[in-house]
Amino acid sequence: MITNSRRVKDYKQLDRELPTLRHVDPDYIYINLQNARAKEYTLDVEVGDHVKLGEILGRRKGKFFEQPIYSTVSGVIEGRTNKYHSSGDEVECLIVRNDFKDTYHESITDRPDSVIEQFTQEDFVEIIKEKGLVGLGGSGFPSYIKLNTDKDIHTVVINAVECEPYLSSDYRLIKDQPEDIFRGLTYLMRAVDATRGVIAVKKTKKELVEVLEREISRFSDWNIQIATLDDFYPQGWENMTFENAVGIKVPVGTLPMEYGILGFNVSTTASVYEAVKHNLPIIKRHLTVNGDAVNFPQDIRARVGTSVRELIELSDGYTDEEKVEVIVGGPMMGESIESDDIVVTQTTTSILVLKSVDYVEEPCVRCASCVYACPVDIQPVQIMNAVKREDKESARALEADKCIECGLCAYVCTSKIHVTDYVREAMKMLR
Amino acid sequence: MNIVTKNAPHLRRPNATVVRMMRDVSIALTPLIVFAIYQHGVDALLILLAAVLSMVATEYVYYQIKDFMERKREAKSETEEKIRELNWQKKEKKKALKEKTQKAREDYEAFMKDYEQRMASLRETLKEENRAAKKSDNKSFRLANRSFTIYNFTIITSGLIYGLTLPDTIPLSKVIVGGVVGALLAKLVFGGMGQNIFNPAAFARVFVVLSFGAALSYEAFVDADAGATAMSVLNEQMFNAGVVDNYDYWMLFSGIGLPGSLGETSALLILVGGIYLAARRSFDIVVPITYIGTVFLLSLTVMFTQDLGFWFPAVHVLGGGLLFGAVFMATDPITSPVTRPGRIYFAFGLGVLTFLIRLFGNLPEGVVFAILIMNMFVPALDYAKWAKSRFTVRSVLVFSIVVVLAIVITNVGVYYVA
Ligand code: SF4
Ligand code: SF4
Repeated sequence: MITNSRRVKDYKQLDRELPTLRHVDPDYIYINLQNARAKEYTLDVEVGDHVKLGEILGRRKGKFFEQPIYSTVSGVIEGRTNKYHSSGDEVECLIVRNDFKDTYHESITDRPDSVIEQFTQEDFVEIIKEKGLVGLGGSGFPSYIKLNTDKDIHTVVINAVECEPYLSSDYRLIKDQPEDIFRGLTYLMRAVDATRGVIAVKKTKKELVEVLEREISRFSDWNIQIATLDDFYPQGWENMTFENAVGIKVPVGTLPMEYGILGFNVSTTASVYEAVKHNLPIIKRHLTVNGDAVNFPQDIRARVGTSVRELIELSDGYTDEEKVEVIVGGPMMGESIESDDIVVTQTTTSILVLKSVDYVEEPCVRCASCVYACPVDIQPVQIMNAVKREDKESARALEADKCIECGLCAYVCTSKIHVTDYVREAMKMLR
Repeated sequence: MNIVTKNAPHLRRPNATVVRMMRDVSIALTPLIVFAIYQHGVDALLILLAAVLSMVATEYVYYQIKDFMERKREAKSETEEKIRELNWQKKEKKKALKEKTQKAREDYEAFMKDYEQRMASLRETLKEENRAAKKSDNKSFRLANRSFTIYNFTIITSGLIYGLTLPDTIPLSKVIVGGVVGALLAKLVFGGMGQNIFNPAAFARVFVVLSFGAALSYEAFVDADAGATAMSVLNEQMFNAGVVDNYDYWMLFSGIGLPGSLGETSALLILVGGIYLAARRSFDIVVPITYIGTVFLLSLTVMFTQDLGFWFPAVHVLGGGLLFGAVFMATDPITSPVTRPGRIYFAFGLGVLTFLIRLFGNLPEGVVFAILIMNMFVPALDYAKWAKSRFTVRSVLVFSIVVVLAIVITNVGVYYVA
């Protein structure tokens, strides 16, 4: 309890036995026009227009990038509405009525392998930029910026660790479409001219290792390895994955590219395949509906733009708890949202509905669980004490700004203190 | 159903609670308690009860008084002040009337016009407030009770540890005084659980030794006929192997028939408790290992330089309160540093101090003194500017030098004394 404190109960058993539910044809699709990184947008279509699957509706504009907004369904634009986004903000959405025909836009055509083999880094970057691919693990960071590196990359790491409790969407994706992941990886390796590809999974997920090992034989011309990692949290944190999968320690605050590694999430990799091979933007994604306050937890493959309420209903709705939290993302780092009127976006890895427990805090007993747990080796309890004293000097000396907000310190706390919140406060203080 | 929002993380470790941690310590102590009662009979039971109850009662009384005073302070409300003010004004105005000026009369009449009404409304508010206060009183009472750490076993654990360090001949009154002082001065005045600098059990024990020193000098500490503890024998004739011939290794290890404090004699049962705590991860095992390891290392070097037998380190490790202190007192999280290296330095310091006090001080029991002294260094070991969660090359270097220095100084010291 005090030592060995990075083991986190994973709550994943529920989903494994069930097949993935395919829920890809809701009546209405809501396409978010804004997201956490891009608030401005322009629109090319109007209400009443008929749009096709994969058609560009407009463009989102972020601070340092622009991305096209794609229609993920064919149908008629009915108007606009506001819905919650995975970041917790309300965003404007375009309502598209599904015509259930799935007519593809003319631009959506397959590329022959012979063409892809001739592609250079610029070509890949261009496609990925144009298809608006972002980090699907939840970060939402535009992938092309990562791929457009001028550093010498020797290894591409695919992160399939999924260390957050409750989540199993990446797990399902690997089981359902292992080939896409390998193909996506080969594209990425070709793009940056990497000599090695590594897929990092948890040791404990034997089924996945099996699936991947079966698939690997078909890609024997490529130097691809499977790294099996220990099961602890936050193993899926990029720097931790790199360290344990390829043995390269990337200090907090520096970019992995400088060490010759590039990391991508598995779902991102699968979407790279779709984008390059089929010229498709992200249309559907795997997501988990789980938690102790939803009746029938399951993994769902849903169209981007589906309403989350619908998905919760599909999972037999809420149990009768008095207070629940609706969380987009994992329970450790995810955002809890004030309403369930949420829309599935590219970065929605999961919807969790958890019983809201009000923990009674006790005085800190200085047990140091939080210190032993912290993945960046800072001392959350001391930072908390510094915050209470409003002692900026100590907070700086304790390197509070290194924190990655993994939430482990509050998770392990013996006295049930929300230590992470104090560390966040310290970070604010230092800014 | 309501949807609420909270900050991540939304999960907590199910089995991480203060009560689990402290209860585990009590459970680990149980074999020792049984053994103590088996060895010393009802005396042991009474001493342990006195130790625990005196600490619990002190804490209970303290929180009740604190709670009472808090409620008193809250009770003096603003409304009461206003009523007092109004009455005072009335008196002043009346006084002014005596001078029979026109102005004073007008003033008075104007004041009296709504006096009754204002007074009545103030009285009404006061009544309301009192009613509300009564309700919240219950709440604040519960709050005070929550700080009472019998619920999470902390105070019980402290009491048990304190009791187990005492010899079986100590009068109960002294046990109680020690318990009260330990709970009050080492814990409550610092602000209760989590705020204390000194280990309450060690503090109480040291208080008993120091203030009843005469009565508890080591001849009297245990009955002279029954034999002194292994440690006190050793202290008097430090390097004479003959004195420990009475005790064989099995006796030292199992504690059966060994004189000494209630819970400190059976190395075997202490190890059982330690293994339980380590398996439950309710303490950090590096602390006892470093502590015992340091004492062992130092006594081993002395053994070589003084050409003594292996009985010397064996007695130092197994005899006296070292194992008990290392497993149950030095690991108290509240009074130890919060980083792994910090805890190792802490335990190392304990080891060195214990050994030095045993050899050069006039006290055979270095453990509790060492714990109190090292407790004072905790803030320094935790100082933000140098406390790090991991060892660095530099800290390992410095630490190694300190270890070597400690060995050299000890041996030089022994050379001059012997
Ligand atoms: S939230 Fe920050 S301080 Fe807490 S364990 Fe994670 S990285 Fe460390
Ligand atoms: S903040 Fe919590 S986990 Fe950290 S030392 Fe205090 S009680 Fe232990």
